[in-house]
Amino acid sequence: MTPPNKKILAIVPAFNECGNIGRTVREIRKAAPGVDILVIDDGSADTTAEEAREAGGMVVSLPFNLGIGAAVQTGFQYAQKHQYDIAVQIDGDGQHDPAFLEKIVGPLRLDGADMVVGSRFLEKIGFQSSFSRRMGINFFVHLIKVLTGVKVNDPTSGFRAYNKKMIALFSEYYPHDFPEPEAIVVAQQAGARIVELPVVMRPREAGSSSIRYFKTLYYMVKVTLAILLHMIRQGRGKV
Amino acid sequence: MNIHAVALIVSVAIFLFVIDLVRRRRLTFKYAMAWLLVSAGAIFFAVFYRFLFAFAAWLGFELPSNFIFFTLFCVFVFLSLLLTVFLCQQNNRNDIMAQKIALLEFELRELKKKLKVE
Repeated sequence: MTPPNKKILAIVPAFNECGNIGRTVREIRKAAPGVDILVIDDGSADTTAEEAREAGGMVVSLPFNLGIGAAVQTGFQYAQKHQYDIAVQIDGDGQHDPAFLEKIVGPLRLDGADMVVGSRFLEKIGFQSSFSRRMGINFFVHLIKVLTGVKVNDPTSGFRAYNKKMIALFSEYYPHDFPEPEAIVVAQQAGARIVELPVVMRPREAGSSSIRYFKTLYYMVKVTLAILLHMIRQGRGKV
Repeated sequence: MNIHAVALIVSVAIFLFVIDLVRRRRLTFKYAMAWLLVSAGAIFFAVFYRFLFAFAAWLGFELPSNFIFFTLFCVFVFLSLLLTVFLCQQNNRNDIMAQKIALLEFELRELKKKLKVE
């Protein structure tokens, strides 16, 4: 039995990713031909938007840099408005291999999950990040485990897939700045079923990550506070 | 010069300045209210400073000046907290507006493309 056809949107946030974004879009088109690709150009100063458009992606250009969270949220808003069944978040820097797109969408097609996180640590293949960053990631694994009882091995992974319920939730509220770990807490608190599947990640091809080495500690403190503040927030959504 | 006169002149000047800002539409009523109340209070205490002294003594301040500094400090902390709330609200609205504009711009471009094809 084949699952019913689903309308899928690939949300690709990109900030100054010329040199990467064209290839990413072409790769997604090749790996998943039926998927619509929406690149969110987060106020880039370079030719990110043109490059993505030439490669065949739909491009939404934010008038100024809003940060990754608000950029991804713009994608959810589009998906919500155009009634997509599934949204997949893939970073524009080439770290995420679109060959795994179909795999992380799988559980959503069968309604076995509301949200799927692509994890590089489940099978420990491919780019595993630096030692110091892995320590930081581990901290979040435990923090999220303690706060929500859910164990996600790669909470900073931005390679994710969401179903309709999550699209509706996140188009209303999605954490800003460094949203990945907090989004898991938001989703869990809303009652979402979260599934983690192994994927292989690659090191960046051009440009630099938005989280630089010396900022790791700042990132950790900030995200921790954001997560703790979320726990006391009023009016959290439910799925 | 008399210190009471100085206090009175300064508080009246602030009061008039706020009114002038509202008159020239540089300040909306919503934000002007807080400032008008604060400066009206300052005028009141500059005129009837005996109230101020008595009130300070009643609260247990040894020097009335300490009471004034303490009150001003509290007012400004509260005011800056209030301004941060406004700032946050504006920031959120700004983000939502930017997202809406970007999406509308995209749909407009798609629409134009479709019209050209037909």
